[in-house]
Amino acid sequence: MQSEINDAALEYLIARAGLDLTDEQKAELKTVHAALAALAERVRKPRGRMAEPAHSYGFAQEDL
Amino acid sequence: MSEPIPTIAEASRLIAAKQLSPVELTRACLERVHALDGKLHAFVRLTEERALAEARAAERAIVAGRPSGPLQGIPIGLKDIVDTKGIPTTCGSKFLQDNIPDTDAACAEKLAAAGTVLMGKLTTHEFADGGPSFDLPAPPARNPWNTEHFTAGSSSGTGAGVAAGLILGGIGTDTGGSIRGPAALCGIAGIKPTYGLVSRAGVAPAAYSLDHIGPMAWTAEDCALMLQALAGHDPRDPASASRPIPNYTALLGSGIKGLKIGVIHHFHETDHKVSEGTQRGIDAALASFRDLGAELREVQLSPLQDWAACGSLISMTERAAAYEEWSRTRLGDFSERLRSRLILGALVSGVDYVQAVRRRRELRAELQQAMAGLDVVLTATQPAEAAKIDAVPKWDLFDKPGFTMPFNVAGYPAISICAGFGAGGLPVAIQLVAKPFQEPTLFRVADAFEKATPFRDQRPALSSAAPTPA
Repeated sequence: MQSEINDAALEYLIARAGLDLTDEQKAELKTVHAALAALAERVRKPRGRMAEPAHSYGFAQEDL
Repeated sequence: MSEPIPTIAEASRLIAAKQLSPVELTRACLERVHALDGKLHAFVRLTEERALAEARAAERAIVAGRPSGPLQGIPIGLKDIVDTKGIPTTCGSKFLQDNIPDTDAACAEKLAAAGTVLMGKLTTHEFADGGPSFDLPAPPARNPWNTEHFTAGSSSGTGAGVAAGLILGGIGTDTGGSIRGPAALCGIAGIKPTYGLVSRAGVAPAAYSLDHIGPMAWTAEDCALMLQALAGHDPRDPASASRPIPNYTALLGSGIKGLKIGVIHHFHETDHKVSEGTQRGIDAALASFRDLGAELREVQLSPLQDWAACGSLISMTERAAAYEEWSRTRLGDFSERLRSRLILGALVSGVDYVQAVRRRRELRAELQQAMAGLDVVLTATQPAEAAKIDAVPKWDLFDKPGFTMPFNVAGYPAISICAGFGAGGLPVAIQLVAKPFQEPTLFRVADAFEKATPFRDQRPALSSAAPTPA
């Protein structure tokens, strides 16, 4: 995710999400988009393709 | 009555001994609601007639020698995202003002079966997210310690109602801290149990993989009594755990000598430095635990910001998915705060979400490793005393990582308990975390702390003038 977002890219994302936003809402989105991009960057770590997600999990004996 | 407002445990003992009438107790709570809730807004709907009928039924059962357990005749409330058969369940939203469920949520059903008295439905942030909003059908709840201040949320009505003695216990839900936050700022106890321990069936979703249901009450012991009734497998909840349910009060009073408590100093001293009052509360709590014979250890985890990023991305994306249909068709009907978060969540890419869920697995493994050889870990619950209700920032999730989200990410049980009073006489709190399904240990440590400190003796001044049972 790019930290800066231009109007065209923002319009694309809004359309893809199926939302109908006011100019004021779009302007607010632009101001917080960099912070959202920082969150997305922070969860990316060197981990390789084999690292699984935690969509579902069970607690193993090691947890207890 | 030895205490102006009894705890659940105290009331339970008195009711069982026929020294306190459930009807008198319920009437006293109702009088307090009528006297105080115009300022607090803890309730969105009072079920007075039902409460009195249930109290009378409880009294008849006690007199007839048919006690059903420690919650019989205890006045409670349910956060208004919990479905209640025949009683409106609005989720604090314009969307559901006319919603009357035809079944009870699992947690409502279980508390009713335990003999509790339902006082009504409690204020929530809209669909359990967004913050204090003034553009919703009902006003936000206010903090009983100072009504100009915030309760935290989203279980804001439960926090305010318990602290003010309008109810003795209540249900909260917690996706990133919505039980523990209000518990902390309102000076009560609140536990987010292990993920899957309490059924989510019939409770409006906030973020499926982070949502937890749990009790909030004046003490940890009261939370244990409530959890006893709430815990258990439910096939209606796909995340429900199938495990034997222990006795949650079994370890209370056994002391904590020799227990090992890990302290995540960097969370609250470096990553997100807490207020002076909160730090004093934490330091004094650590000294108390040392005096009680516990061994303190240093714990190092990934920075709080990593946990918050992971949890926030998952939370906002799952929420956007849950409410996508309404976001696309009736966006303007959401409160301004929730609407902004739903919009943002809808822009997170699928790849971002999966990277967050991959990070979640790593972070869980890290906590598991850090807790090997420890009984509990400790950090702050909230960064500071309650802010003024009109000064709560809209986007604080970005620059102020929360202390509670890590344990939603991990699914581990966590409790917030009062650790004293800071600026303006407002409560401060500590958060204790145990390994999965080790709630008995959590209650053991929390109860030992509460009984060794004087903080459970002080109620908000607001409630002291209200009627109490004779």
